[in-house]
Amino acid sequence: MQTVTTPKLERKHMSSAQPDDPDHAAALLALVANEQSRQAFSELFHYFAPRLKAYATRQFGNEQTAMDLVQETMTNVWNKAHLFKPDRGSASTWIFTIARNIRFDFLRKNKHRQHDLSADELWPVLAETNDSLDDDYALDDDLLMQQLAGYCESLPKAQRTVIELIYVEGKSQQEVADALGIPLGTVKSRTRLALQKLRELINSDD
Amino acid sequence: MIKFHPSEQHLFHYVTGDLTPAMLMMVGTHVDMCPHCQNEIQHIEESLAQKVFGQAQVPAELTEQVSFFDGESMLASIMSQTPKRITPVMRQDVPNELVLEGKRFQLPGTLARNQHRVGEWQKILGQMWRAPVHVGGEDVLTFIYMDKDTRVPEHTHKGREATLVVNGVFNDERSEYRDGDFIFVDDSVIHTPETRHEDCLTLSALDAPMHFTSGLSRLLNPFSSLFFK
Repeated sequence: MQTVTTPKLERKHMSSAQPDDPDHAAALLALVANEQSRQAFSELFHYFAPRLKAYATRQFGNEQTAMDLVQETMTNVWNKAHLFKPDRGSASTWIFTIARNIRFDFLRKNKHRQHDLSADELWPVLAETNDSLDDDYALDDDLLMQQLAGYCESLPKAQRTVIELIYVEGKSQQEVADALGIPLGTVKSRTRLALQKLRELINSDD
Repeated sequence: MIKFHPSEQHLFHYVTGDLTPAMLMMVGTHVDMCPHCQNEIQHIEESLAQKVFGQAQVPAELTEQVSFFDGESMLASIMSQTPKRITPVMRQDVPNELVLEGKRFQLPGTLARNQHRVGEWQKILGQMWRAPVHVGGEDVLTFIYMDKDTRVPEHTHKGREATLVVNGVFNDERSEYRDGDFIFVDDSVIHTPETRHEDCLTLSALDAPMHFTSGLSRLLNPFSSLFFK
């Protein structure tokens, strides 16, 4: 596969790109989130799982615990890929924070002490929150809302429909998916793209 | 504008989870309030992820082990699960307000998620209230609320004290501290925190009781561990 001479192009090519390419890893996670793609997940697994095991073996000095950490981390990647937000950081950083949380809970699990903190109370990496209420997007200023209405006009129609259903009609992302007959992952990615676009428009006006 | 931040080491160990529970809460709450440290945290996370996942090859000493990684059965068992989608929980369902003396305080995310850990409020010296935050571990995490024009008797600490302003203003001999400021002092520091025209809600982590150093308040020393522990 070394026939492509431009390195950049070659890296974009599916069969030669590695999950250590951030864009490729993010694309694989999106495939897992939207289509439960087994092929995409296998590729992520074969890259991340051995490295996770090396990390966990250094941390715990115990092979069984290390394998437990690998299993729990990768299970979360499979089940919760839809919670990965590419605009907040890379796929490998996201997977690292999942592993960090699991390590934190493992270190406390067998102590059975009262009041112990749990990782998700400290770092809500895998919290199922409604994107529309995330701090970054919490908008309550009337003026800004009017401006936003103007900006929404410039969104592609598919994105605008999703944004209107969620933010004007107050539907959940699942309800939008059901109403439009499209996958939840598509609703999420359209919402994300639209919010990104809106944010750019707001920033460019500043 | 936040003037006082946790050290780089605090931030690093917050990311890895290797601080005491009380300090994890302190640093986490500061980070909630501080865009500058949010940035730092992201950089630390990225560089740690790079360290864990970045190498092109898994270290040879590990791969040489006969059964270093045979993941195929794990892979199959993970993919046999159907990803579950839980309907998102609305943020508004999480109580993030603290009501005290008729005043309402918005709690940053870390504190809001741990509000169930806040114990009973008790009135201590003068116009000061405290409530323990039960997080486990050896050191003690406490909410302290000072009404305006309140002074804490001059004291040192037998150990180290971290203080975070959640809402309001307080002063000591060195500076003025406002929302988000994170102050870390050890036993070499003698100080007299006070509020002036505004009240102040702080979060404080102590790894040993306070030691009062001046006048009549020295009488408090035998009881200081009751007040602050």
